[in-house]
Amino acid sequence: MSQVSEPAHAPTSTGIEHKKLIMWLFLASDCMFFGTLISTHLLYRKLYPTGFTDAEGHQRFIQNLFNIELTSFSTFILLMSSFLMALAVSAMHKGQIKSFRRNVLGVIFFGLIFLGCQVFEFTHFFHQGLTIQNSVFGSTFYVLTGTHGTHVAIGILWLILLYFYSFTGKLGGHVGALDVEVAGLYWHFVDIVWIIIFTAVYLVEYLGPSGFWGTGLPLTK
Amino acid sequence: MSHDSHHAPVASKLDLAPERSDLGLLRPDRKTGWADWLTTVDHKKIGIMYGAFAMLFFLVGGVEALAIRTQLARPDNDFVTARMYNQLFTMHGTTMIFLGVMPLSAAFFNFLVPLQIGARDVAFPRLNAFSLWTFVAGAFVLNSSWLFEFGHLAGWFNNFAWHKSLVYTDFAPANGWFSYAPLSGTVGQADAALHSPRFTGVGTDFWIIGIQILGIASLAASFNFICTIINMRAKGMTMMRLPVFTWMTLVTSVLIILAFPAITVALIELMFDRQFGANFFNPSAGGQPILWQHLFWIFGHPEVYILVLPAMGIVSEILPTFSGKALFGYPIIVFSGAVIGFLGFAVWSHHMFTTGLGAVPTAAFALLTMAIAVPTGVKIFNWLGTIWGGKIRFTPPMVLALGFIWMFMCGGFSGVMHSAAPADAQQQDSYFVIAHFHYVLLGGVLLGLMAGLYFWFPKIFGRMPNAGVAYLASGLVILGFNLAFGPMHYLGLAGQPRRTHTYHAGNGWETWNFVATIGAFILGIGVFLAFANLVWTAFKGKKCGSDPWGGRTLEWSLSSPVAEYNFAQSPVIAARDAYFEDKHGGRRIAYENDGGEAGVHMPSQSWMPLVAGFGFLMIGLGMPMLSMGVPHMGWLVIAGLTVMFIGIWLWALEGPGGYMLKTPAVGATPSQPAHQSATTH
Repeated sequence: MSQVSEPAHAPTSTGIEHKKLIMWLFLASDCMFFGTLISTHLLYRKLYPTGFTDAEGHQRFIQNLFNIELTSFSTFILLMSSFLMALAVSAMHKGQIKSFRRNVLGVIFFGLIFLGCQVFEFTHFFHQGLTIQNSVFGSTFYVLTGTHGTHVAIGILWLILLYFYSFTGKLGGHVGALDVEVAGLYWHFVDIVWIIIFTAVYLVEYLGPSGFWGTGLPLTK
Repeated sequence: MSHDSHHAPVASKLDLAPERSDLGLLRPDRKTGWADWLTTVDHKKIGIMYGAFAMLFFLVGGVEALAIRTQLARPDNDFVTARMYNQLFTMHGTTMIFLGVMPLSAAFFNFLVPLQIGARDVAFPRLNAFSLWTFVAGAFVLNSSWLFEFGHLAGWFNNFAWHKSLVYTDFAPANGWFSYAPLSGTVGQADAALHSPRFTGVGTDFWIIGIQILGIASLAASFNFICTIINMRAKGMTMMRLPVFTWMTLVTSVLIILAFPAITVALIELMFDRQFGANFFNPSAGGQPILWQHLFWIFGHPEVYILVLPAMGIVSEILPTFSGKALFGYPIIVFSGAVIGFLGFAVWSHHMFTTGLGAVPTAAFALLTMAIAVPTGVKIFNWLGTIWGGKIRFTPPMVLALGFIWMFMCGGFSGVMHSAAPADAQQQDSYFVIAHFHYVLLGGVLLGLMAGLYFWFPKIFGRMPNAGVAYLASGLVILGFNLAFGPMHYLGLAGQPRRTHTYHAGNGWETWNFVATIGAFILGIGVFLAFANLVWTAFKGKKCGSDPWGGRTLEWSLSSPVAEYNFAQSPVIAARDAYFEDKHGGRRIAYENDGGEAGVHMPSQSWMPLVAGFGFLMIGLGMPMLSMGVPHMGWLVIAGLTVMFIGIWLWALEGPGGYMLKTPAVGATPSQPAHQSATTH
């Protein structure tokens, strides 16, 4: 009991570092955040099973709008980015800064591909006649997936800043590994949320005999 | 961390050598005066600033309340217009809840939690400062709507093109504190500028962005406090030895981080409706206004417990102190607090019984609402058990705490009445509801918080409040409060609707409305007197010792005012109420041999939380002005986002810093016995 107090390394009551604990708390809060957004989308989707009406007044069905192959691809890419993130965290724990840089660049690259797919998707849907103004589906879809995209963008920005910070030589040791691990927690969470959104927003449209939860809507326009 | 001249232990921060942060900027560690307050990361100073702002906004909200009561003093009154009346009651509710009670609770969290758990600061000192400045930004944004309203009434904006194009000109929020859609939202199709026709003026936009910013402040503070309480307890301070106030802070913080996301999303959706023509709550495009009610109350009901649990924690500290007994049933008080927090998420629809939920949900929410009265009742019985047979000392905090029990119980009883859905259908939107929640929030929460202020002011400033004035103020508050809100039970059951700017003579409401107005003014004088006494105390009060009340928890073991390092040596705790037992020969506290000449670690001060908070202020002022149609305001929002980002980025780059501060040698302070042999249970 005679060591000089050094809070940066002082043991915490639980043994969990402050930064890691506060990130878990933030993620708990973010669960409720996305839970509310996803609930809004699903409630309205169930209430209005017939899709939306485009600018020309045509009734449009969601299955004809979605490009499930593209979204599956971008989902796969985001999943793989989580794999690279895990490698980056592991490299940081081992003090392998070059390996960290390589992997984190991969995460950033995959994250940008995902965002690019989302930009393409939004543009495509917009040209198909789905806007934030013309239907409840448009409002919930764009705000929910857009909010997720914002989370991805913030994550990419964070990782880019960490990547460049690693060249100052100040990112290292236990604190550096912790900083990267906390960024990793965020990244994995954003990835998991996308898996839920991909299921609850995209895949359910293909459930049932012919469409949304078996509501019996025709597959053609 | 290198031990250069900045890091060699110093007796005062003024002796520090100038130091540059990792970023190359000079650290504001040696600042004094106003720059010290703006850059401080000391939880005690942040707590004092939270308290000062909260008391200021209590007075602002109180003036709004008195304007409301003046208007209602007699039938067919025209003291204010109906439009102004809507803005007054909306801003009164919003101000009291978000700018009065919540920050005053946060003031106590800040000041007390680290002291009660034996820590030297919170887990993230700069994040704590960020919470404060973001709160101030949000509060300023909300109240700046009044400046626009007065500018509008004075005709300052009449020559501007944007002013001429406004359809509605309520510049202050006017939808009520829960801003129900579709009144707060839009209707019909969006125009080319993506604006849908609205029902209300830009006051709603001030409200949306203001509450959003305040939510960010509350969330950041709550993450910080949970982390602090879980992770920074002194050795031996197990969870079941935590003071009850700290426990209630923990439960409140958990409620905040789980409840605020619902309102955050609801506000985003409403903002998209109003600014970008989305259809979340737009009935003509298929949006369901009822969704707003659900999202709001999923936040709103836990919010009620966010407001009341800290006051319950305060009372749980005061009653044992002045009864000379340990808190009766500590584990069950902690457990019932947690149960209240848990059940608080399962009762939101009792605010919506009249919306036609259907028989099963209505019955379920009615039952759950009745169930939540049980842990609340358990707490009240435990408080009674605490004072039962005790040697009661009457002091201002004790009188206010006893008033809390009494008044809060009255509010609880009318709350149980609301849980019966058929009765609630009669009471909905009547003055009975006003009476109910003012008994809970004013008779309960405000009395509890005032008790806390009078209890801990001697610790915060080392000066005693004037007891005579305090008793007088307490008497006026309790008398005025009952005169103002007691009659509203009757008025509500006699049919007087809430949120209506006037009433006609002949309904039998005249007498009691007049009485209520008199009561409100007595209450106002009482609260003002109580606060004035406190401000006087802070500067001129009689100096007092470190433990004037015979306190039980760790903060009383420290000098008053508390030194910036809190604990010269870290305590090691061996019992609940360790300080009280220790004083009476129980030997329950030992001190670690840290500190002394080697110094304790102090976090560095920073400008960055203030910069980030200023970014929020720019966003918060830009969004409503964008909505008004003031030119170039989109750029102000973007500039605000940039300032916020730069603030947070530089904050990360500057690093936590820190320096070593010498503390008095072991055994030097009489209030800190230096024995090392803690007995454990």
